[in-house]
Amino acid sequence: MKAVIKTEKLSKWYGNILGLSDVTLDIEAGITGLLGPNGAGKSTFLKLITGQIKANIGSVRINGEGVRNNHRLFSKIGFCPESDSFYEEMTGWEFVTGLLKLHNLPSSEIEKKARKALGIVDLEKNKDRRIKTYSRGMRQRLKFAQAIAHEPEILILDEPLNGLDPLGRRKLIRLIKSLRDEGKTVIVSSHVLPEIEAMTNDIILIHQGKIFAQGDIHYIRDLIDTHPHMISVKCSDPRKVASRFIKEDFVLNIDFSSEKDTFVVKTNNRDEFFRYLPLIFIEENSDVKEITSPDDNLQAVFDYLIGE
Amino acid sequence: MMEKKTEKDWSFLSSFGNVFSFFFLLGRKAKKTKVFYLLSFIPVVMALIVKFGQVFASRSSLTGIYVFSNFIMTFYLQFIILILALFFGTSVCSEELEGKTLPYLTTRPVSKASFILGKYAAYTLLIVTMTVVGVILCFFILNFNQLGDLSLYKILFRDTAVLVLGLICYTSLFTFIGTFIKRSIMFGLIFSFGWENVIQYFPGSTQRFAIVHFLKSLLPSPSSGRFSFLLFRLEPTPPFMAVIMLILITAAFLGLACVVFNFKEYILEE
Repeated sequence: MKAVIKTEKLSKWYGNILGLSDVTLDIEAGITGLLGPNGAGKSTFLKLITGQIKANIGSVRINGEGVRNNHRLFSKIGFCPESDSFYEEMTGWEFVTGLLKLHNLPSSEIEKKARKALGIVDLEKNKDRRIKTYSRGMRQRLKFAQAIAHEPEILILDEPLNGLDPLGRRKLIRLIKSLRDEGKTVIVSSHVLPEIEAMTNDIILIHQGKIFAQGDIHYIRDLIDTHPHMISVKCSDPRKVASRFIKEDFVLNIDFSSEKDTFVVKTNNRDEFFRYLPLIFIEENSDVKEITSPDDNLQAVFDYLIGE
Repeated sequence: MMEKKTEKDWSFLSSFGNVFSFFFLLGRKAKKTKVFYLLSFIPVVMALIVKFGQVFASRSSLTGIYVFSNFIMTFYLQFIILILALFFGTSVCSEELEGKTLPYLTTRPVSKASFILGKYAAYTLLIVTMTVVGVILCFFILNFNQLGDLSLYKILFRDTAVLVLGLICYTSLFTFIGTFIKRSIMFGLIFSFGWENVIQYFPGSTQRFAIVHFLKSLLPSPSSGRFSFLLFRLEPTPPFMAVIMLILITAAFLGLACVVFNFKEYILEE
């Protein structure tokens, strides 16, 4: 398949701070997930490929054309920024139609497209309210609406699921998938692995400004699954429950030093641990209060993968 | 080739028009506009006070048009048009950076020049409206008993035109400053009430380094009277040349603003 977005040796510094280093990528049609912890360089990468900032070294080409100061290219690109920023005094309708106008479309087309985009994100009823009165979720959906309203071929979404409730997330994920089915190229950034996992198998792992891995999500999953996990269990009679785990091979150690009623298990087989856990609770007649995974976040995984 | 060029010109004009209408709508709704509308009405309140003083205290030694001309010189030329141009001109670029709304615009198929010029035109029209409404109200209040005298309307037209030219010129300067200086308001205040206020009184050609010199050159010089000190040492440029200079200054600053905005990299603070 032909690459829609091509970057070569892309590097960016902000003074002495490295934003992105030597990124060479070919992004094809479909959904590509850009995954990395906060501050990894995801937004820098997206700003570079949308020409908002210029690279110190390297180049970006979209459909074979350079991006920076090539405004004509933006009729084919939709961008949803990460920051929660709007023209607060405008209504949702004015915001979307106003930005659509900048695409030089006839007014009948603008109204049609704005209505469609606001309908897709369930904002049609609230379109005449001022943006400053919108909830966080509504604002996030409005940001998405302005990105898709002109029906671009390429969609670049910077943390689009932030601030959405679970239902909103599910809807948006379904919508992004439907855009992929229409043959569009979608780049979605996130620091939450399950969010990306729900949308695509093609991911780019980015960390400290460098591409750490690129390819199928299952490869990443395998890496993560071999990473020892910490699981914190809060329950009644924690010592009795913990004693049942001690003899199991998949448990590396158990720590009682944290809170009262809590023990932390370090395991190298998370699936096995979670299969076993409910049985023990039932057999020991223990009340479960909370199960959390303190290191089940991308930063911990990255730290593990790079050997920190 | 010719066809391509025409298409490009049309696309620039329509982008300019679209940016203009977007920001004219936004500007009309902004809180800032309402605040500055109130500010621009201060001379109207002053005019009412003066008129009431004249009517009820019978202090009518000064004619309405004399007071009006001095209002133009003291309130409008030296203060209101500078403040309006400063706050609206610098915000052409800086409010997009501070509000982090710039990505919505720079990821659209509009050239950066049409964005700067379209927003500049929208904001200039807003402040021109504010000023002209205030000036006309002042004129009618102060000349309430002489409204039949048609020669007065010539003065109204001339003074309003000078103020509009001033707004167009100052706003272009502050638009340019806003594209490359972070604390553009501070710089603008120093320029407006420091540089402009001092340089205009320098003898010889030095006073031509102030925009206000060309604006004052378009107004008649009162040889006497309470506010004649404001034209002290003015060595006026011929009116035609003054207008040409104001147009050239405007074009130069707008051109520079477009160039800076096109090439400068704006990093929005996270």
